[in-house]
Amino acid sequence: MIRRSPRRSWLPLVLFIVGLLILVFHEAGYLSPVENALHYVFDPLQRVTSGLVRSTGDMFHTVREVRELRAELETLRSRVDTLTAENIRLQEYEAEVQQLRSLLNFVSDYPISAFVGADVVGREACDQFPCGDVVGADPNPYLRYVTINVGAQQGVEKGMPVVSGGAMLAGRVVQVGPRTAQVQLLSDGDSAVASLLKLSRVTGLVVGQPDGTLRMEYIPQDEEVNEGDIVLTSGLGGVLPKGLIVGQVTEVQQMDYELFQAAVLRPALDFSRLETLLVITDFEPVPTDEATPEPPMPESE
Amino acid sequence: MNLYLTVPLLTLIAVFQSVLFSQLGFQDAHVELMVMVVLTWSFVRGMEAGAVWAFIGGLLIDLFSGGPLGGTSLALLVVAFLGGLQWGRSLGPTFIRLIIVTALGFLAYHIILLLVLAWTGRPVSWGFSLSRVILPGVLLNGLFAPLFHRLMVWLDRRIRRQGLNLSL
Repeated sequence: MIRRSPRRSWLPLVLFIVGLLILVFHEAGYLSPVENALHYVFDPLQRVTSGLVRSTGDMFHTVREVRELRAELETLRSRVDTLTAENIRLQEYEAEVQQLRSLLNFVSDYPISAFVGADVVGREACDQFPCGDVVGADPNPYLRYVTINVGAQQGVEKGMPVVSGGAMLAGRVVQVGPRTAQVQLLSDGDSAVASLLKLSRVTGLVVGQPDGTLRMEYIPQDEEVNEGDIVLTSGLGGVLPKGLIVGQVTEVQQMDYELFQAAVLRPALDFSRLETLLVITDFEPVPTDEATPEPPMPESE
Repeated sequence: MNLYLTVPLLTLIAVFQSVLFSQLGFQDAHVELMVMVVLTWSFVRGMEAGAVWAFIGGLLIDLFSGGPLGGTSLALLVVAFLGGLQWGRSLGPTFIRLIIVTALGFLAYHIILLLVLAWTGRPVSWGFSLSRVILPGVLLNGLFAPLFHRLMVWLDRRIRRQGLNLSL
């Protein structure tokens, strides 16, 4: 028999009001110190559980040949990714050279894609930049974040770009714990990346859609966009490096009565199969409110 | 004292949802471990016991999420409210009521979650959410509801036998 006291009957309502207040204070940024402290406690648990789950999963893959084939497949896939990235990067250089030649007295010593070489997914890259394994996906089905197992102790900071499979942009670090970090993927509905088409150099904004797809918006109406065009980061705004691969145009959406045209993109990465990511730590983003939000601290009396 | 049992249990559930269950599912729907636990616990123990689990469990889920802290708690409190209500006693046997409560609770949970996301300025697609997440989710989680219910009944009996309490 469950005993109910008059005090208890208000409990759900009280908890609802407290939850509402927490939500408001979180949005105002007042709870950041508390959240950071809680991450110190809970993140190791997530890391350990992830390791256990992964180890348990590995036990099922006991057939040696299957394992070997899988490893070989992964190696080949990785090589294809690397070569694809290298190929696109070389084409990017070619396009840039053509542009530079057409401009008299134009000198640029800006090293495009300087730190996203084809070897960034290799072991050497992990020595230079922190590589993180994905340890958790977002429990909220409407958000596209992943947790990686590198954090402040490895030099990761908020706003740093995260890549995978060569020079393919996965997203940006949005929250950093001591040994974990949360990465907002390109496909998140709240993500927006300044981008350009590789060949025509037309700029636009690649935004994540609620269904996890990518869409390039704000492309001027008079510009020509073709299916199959490669989309790269433009570097505009200074929050991401220039030249990272974002995706490929699969559909052009053009309406005569609209100011801009848009394009649906096929992401360069399969965001549901991310395993190891690379955080670019030597890129210094231009500080903006979006990149480095500083929570307002309550003034002490 | 009671929280020493409740918090670790709900923490484990939140961790497993983040590490394992968020990656298993049908279309974009997943087995929502915390929702099902809160829902069936409220169904077995009543609204007040479920509300405590909803509040703590929601905060833990939000800690492992990039979403707004407190949003999942609000959504789960509504689930606890629906799961713990004494309505529908005349609807038929426990199994039928459980399925109806699961469908309603799951629907309410996602509507509140989407409203919170919209309110905090995140883009929301109602059509996509309904067709790819909520409706497949109702079916998927409805299948597992009897299993969770049996687990919660077992836990409830065990707790009562040992004189423990998992509420505040």
